[in-house]
This record gives sequence, structure tokens and C-alpha cells, in this order.
Amino acid sequence: MIRLDPPDDGVTMLKETAERFVADRYGLARRGEMLRKPDDQIPVHWADMAGLGWLLAPVPEAAGGLGLPPVQIVALLEVLGAGLVLEPVGPVVMRCAATLARALPDAEAVLAPVLSGGCIEVMAGGEEAAPITAMRDGERVTLAGRAPLVVGGAAARAFWVVARMESAPVLIRVPLEKAGVTRFRLVDGQAAAKVVFDGVSCDAGEVITGCAPALAFGADMGLLGMLAETSGLIDALYRATLEHVKLREQFGRPIGRFQAVQHRMADMFIAREEAQSMVQLAAEAMESADTGFRARLVSAARIKIAGSARAVLRDAVQLHGGMGVTDELPVGHMVKRLLVLTQMGGSRATHLKRFREAA
Amino acid sequence: MTDLLNGAEDEAFRQEIREFVTANLHPGTRDKVARGAPLTREDFARWQQCLFERGWVAPAWPVEHGGPGWSARQRLIADEEMFRQHTPPLPGFGLKMIGPILMRFGTPGQQARFLPGILSGDDWWCQGFSEPGAGSDLASLRTRAVRVAGGWRISGSKTWTTYAQYANWIFCLVRTDPQAKKQQGISMMLVDMASDGFTRRPIRLMDGTEEVNEIFLDDVFVPDDQVVGEINRGWTYAKALLENERFGIGGIGRSKHLLQRVREMADAAGRGADPEVADALAAFEIDIMAVEATTLRLLNAAEAGARIGAETSLLKIRGTEIQQGLTELMLEVAGPAALPERESEGAEAPFENAAYQFLNWRKLSIYGGSNEIQRGILAGQVLGL
Repeated sequence: MIRLDPPDDGVTMLKETAERFVADRYGLARRGEMLRKPDDQIPVHWADMAGLGWLLAPVPEAAGGLGLPPVQIVALLEVLGAGLVLEPVGPVVMRCAATLARALPDAEAVLAPVLSGGCIEVMAGGEEAAPITAMRDGERVTLAGRAPLVVGGAAARAFWVVARMESAPVLIRVPLEKAGVTRFRLVDGQAAAKVVFDGVSCDAGEVITGCAPALAFGADMGLLGMLAETSGLIDALYRATLEHVKLREQFGRPIGRFQAVQHRMADMFIAREEAQSMVQLAAEAMESADTGFRARLVSAARIKIAGSARAVLRDAVQLHGGMGVTDELPVGHMVKRLLVLTQMGGSRATHLKRFREAA
Repeated sequence: MTDLLNGAEDEAFRQEIREFVTANLHPGTRDKVARGAPLTREDFARWQQCLFERGWVAPAWPVEHGGPGWSARQRLIADEEMFRQHTPPLPGFGLKMIGPILMRFGTPGQQARFLPGILSGDDWWCQGFSEPGAGSDLASLRTRAVRVAGGWRISGSKTWTTYAQYANWIFCLVRTDPQAKKQQGISMMLVDMASDGFTRRPIRLMDGTEEVNEIFLDDVFVPDDQVVGEINRGWTYAKALLENERFGIGGIGRSKHLLQRVREMADAAGRGADPEVADALAAFEIDIMAVEATTLRLLNAAEAGARIGAETSLLKIRGTEIQQGLTELMLEVAGPAALPERESEGAEAPFENAAYQFLNWRKLSIYGGSNEIQRGILAGQVLGL
């Protein structure tokens, strides 16, 4: 049932821990150093995040996790998003672990090495128009296709490939050695991978079938994670811009005293509030047994938040003036991360369609 | 349309509301609301009578004053469900504005004298705030009250007085201390509209209705027992009044009702499956959802003890932007069918009120503190700019 209650003590504690972590470990200069590490290196705080229990947090207890409800997890991800962290918590934990926990009978054993912070495994799927296919030939199954952009994939030791086999979705684990990986950086500096699976084959027994509900759930959890990070960034940009307009003086007074600026800031505040509402709403909906309701609310949140993000991005840069277009303030970095988050996770048209059709 | 408030208890409550409305709402009124046609005093009064008899007329009032004892969540559901069943939205001047102010700041005598009439609809109240020279800058109002034996004499004028033609009482802001600083010399008074020296001129709006009026007060006598609270504290009461039911200002029920009407028009125009229209409708539904979720979130925070004040201005801004946006989509869907004059030979259902609703609802972003004022409130009181 939708409640939208204020954060409870659990959420508040989780957020405070995360805020301290980000303050201690991140910051523009330190993040810059991290970005200079090799593409295939696991971001340095991954194991520490596991130590804090964050990687186990959203995983169901049956799969060895802590089983925290989505409303608590999104609070954590909002903080990590605002902090521009480079560890792929969203792709690995929200998306991949959430899927595997529901798709595999032995999920606990499979996930343990990842969630203990020792390595990274991520999902890899094709594009909407070009899905990866799996062809069965006797006891062997052969893949064809590529995953053009796998966030968190640069340091992965294996990929969980979402493919279509005999017109049903299946899941196949492909270790790094068998995949054709090309590593590169995204506009925000983080490492990602393009993975080609043409000709990769495995035993038919390794193919996980009947996993459509798990894939759908995992995709929505992954999206929820991205929405939470987006909402966190919106909040961070709002606060940075508010501080800027209070301090920056022109014409003998802070620019925040001008009505044109005030009204834009009011709109930014509204966008922030609505984004936070929609994240919480989608998080609560993830607990609903009604898959149509869940799909509708997650897509609704995605549409609303992507729109808010774009508006906040524009105004945050504009109100920072020249400083807003440099690489020297957090604003520029936040803007680029926001761009990455909103370009992923499906187009507005896709989500509008899903919203309408899931009614 | 997805109901966010859809728990088992919510559904049972919805059902109770639905059944009551189905059994009691006058079919003629229902039809008018469903079509967006103008409503008469009788439409409102008849429905108020039904709600009054059921004990539901003042959802937010405490039980001891005649409220139904609903939770905030139930009030949102009731509002949504009543709109969905095409009930006329009762004007809030008595029920939502002066009633709660009298409960909080009025004397026991004033409460006993006025609250029953507000509930039953025997008294119809209107609001005397704006003046020709005092709109957004309300505190610059100039209508004056001068001390006389046993009371005050008011002279001046008020404007944009909604439904003054139906009303027998008006609550006015008047200047009682011309020397004091702007906000500090203002008092709130309850004025019997049958008093000597009271005249009214209807203002014809661009949609052809006469919803609002100009009011002239020429030495109108107001006895001491019709002054609200203390003299020169009127600005405080006015601010409190505007904060009443502040969680309802997003107008979620109203937005959903309009969305449903636009959807019906799109179907009638053969454009329901047009992807452009379908996407636009879906986007508005999502926008409404965001206002609803934000309303719930702020309301829950307030109930848990957080200080939520000016934040609710965002609900007014977004709610009215959505409603006005929907009237534009309505025009887009109706095309030239929106143009024939209301009730003329050329007018055809369901488009006959589309242009009028678009014109009439321009008011939404102007009244109750214009959206510019609301953004100023957010910037000043919430953002600290």
C-alpha cells in the first residue's frame, strides 16, 4: 500500500552513514585520482562498501542478503548519486543481484563473491531494436549480438547476458575470457564496456530459462536505482545552486535577490520535491504484488524524474553562469553524471508506452 | 487511472462515498459537472444540503464542530471520489476559510452564531480581500473602518468577490490604523450584506459568466461582536486563513476529473488512439501523480511533526499548471468543435464547454495568490532568498 511516510530511523541512519562515507572518501580531487586508474580496475571503495553491508542490503534474505525494503535502499542510493561515487552499486546490486536472487535457485552461492566485495558481475543486454539472440543446436547454445554499453562492465569478471532464445528471454553467464570486451570512458569519466557475444557458446544446461518475471523485476529495480541516484543529484545541484545564488554578487547584491533568479530557484525546488516523491512512490510500488501497478509507477517515476533532471541541469548551469560550464566546480561533474543517468534506462517514448499499456 | 490510495480500507471508504453520491446527487447537477457547464446556486445548495444531512459537509472540521472525523488520507480519497462522481465542488469561503478562522480566533458567541449556518448552507459567505488597488500586494488595501459607538463604519470597495450575488455574509479585511505599517493596521470583520450602504456590481468575465463582483461599502456599520479576534491583527488571521487545508490546494481530484473529461473528448473526436494525444494524456496523468505523491509526502511529514508551511505553495503552482495545461489539450482535441457559442445551435457535446473552460480557468494561476506570488513565497520563505 502506498504510504509515503517520512523517513524512519533506519533510513536516517543509513543516510548519515552514507553521507559520512562520501564526505570522507570522495571530493573532486580524490575522484579525479580515481578516474585516472586503469579502466579494468575495480573502483577502490567496492570492498569497503561491502563491509558496510550496502551490497547485501537490497538482496532478499533467502539469497543471503539483508532484505531491506526498497524505500530504504533508495535513500542510500540518493546519497551515493549525489556524491558521484564510481562504484557500480546500481548496476551490480540493484539490477544484477536483484535479478539473480529471483532467477537462480542457488543465488546465495553465486552472489557471495560479488556481494562480499571481491569482484564485479553485471547484466549485459542488447538494444531494444537489436536484442542478443541465443540459438540452440542440440546440447550447445550459441549467442549472437552485442551489449553496446555496459555501465560497471569495465571491471567485470563475468556478464549475465539477457538473450532471446526460442522467443523467450533467457539468462546466460559468460565469463570475461569468453566475451569480446572493449573498454572506454563515458562523458562523465566513468569506465564502461562494449561487449560482443558473437559465437560465444555454452552447454544448454547452463541456460537459465523461465526467468522472465525475475528479469522484469530486476530491470525495474535497476531503473529504481538510477532514479534514486538521479534524484540525489537533483538535490545536490539544487543545493549547490541555491548556495551560489546567495553568495554570488552582481549589481551590488546577491543574484538570488533578483526575481527572475528567485522564480527559477522556486521551480528547481519544485522539481526536486517532485523527484523525491516519485522515487519514494516507485520504491513503495516495487513491493506491490501487482506487476502492472509496479510497471506503471516505475515508468511514471522515470518520465517525471528525467524531465525534472533535464530542467534542473539547465537551470543549475545557467544560474552558475560561466562557472557552471567549467570542469572546476562539482556542478559540471554532476551535470555530466545526470546526463549519463537520463540517457540510459529506456526512452521517454518507451516508458510512456509502458505506462499506458500496463493500465 | 491508477489510484495511489488503494489499500483495502481505502477501497471500502471509496465505496461508501460512491454509494452515497450515486444515491443522492441530483442528476441534473451531475450532468452539468460532467460536461463542465456552469453551475447555479441551486446546484451547490442542493448538494450541500445532502452532505450536511450525512455529516460530510466539512471534511476538515473537528468532530465537535460538525466534522466527520476523517483522516487526512480519507479527505484526499473523498475529494477524489466525489470529483470522479461529478459532484459540484462547494465554494470554500465559509467551509474552508472563515469557518476554521472562527474556530481558531472567534469568540464562543461568534462560533455559535455562524458555524451552524456555514455547515447547513443557510448562510452563504464571500470574501472581501482584494481591492482595485490591492491585488497581489494585498496589504496595500485601503478600505477603511472608523471607530463609532458600539462598532465600526466601513468605507471603500472590494473586488473579484466570487459568488457575492448568492452570499448574505462577507468577511472583509479593512484598515483600522492608517498610521501603522502596512500589515499591522488591518482588521478582519464580518459584514452582513443586507446592511445599509452596501452595494454590488457584477463583473462579466470573458467566458460570459458573472462569477465575480465588485462590492462598494459606504459607511456600512459593523457592530463590535462582528470583529474577528483583535483589532489590527487581521493580517495574521488572513494568512492563517490562506493556510487552511493547504494540503488540498493541489486540486488532485479536480485535475483527475478534467483529465477524464479530456480523455472522453479525445475518444469522441476519434483521437483517443492518436499516439500524440495518448502520450500527452499519459504525461498529464504522471504529472498529477507527482502532485498527489508530493501532497501525501508533505502531509505525512506534517502529521509526524515536521513544520510544513510555505512548501505547499508548490502544490498550488503545479496543480494549476496541470489544470491549465489540460484545458489546452482539451482545445487541441476539440479543434473547431470548441468554437460554437455555449448553448447555441452549433454547440455539440462533448465539446460545447471546452473553449469556455479554457477561458474560465485562466483564473487558476491568478487567484488565491498568483503563481508569481507563490514562487516568491517559496523563494523567500523556503529557500531563504
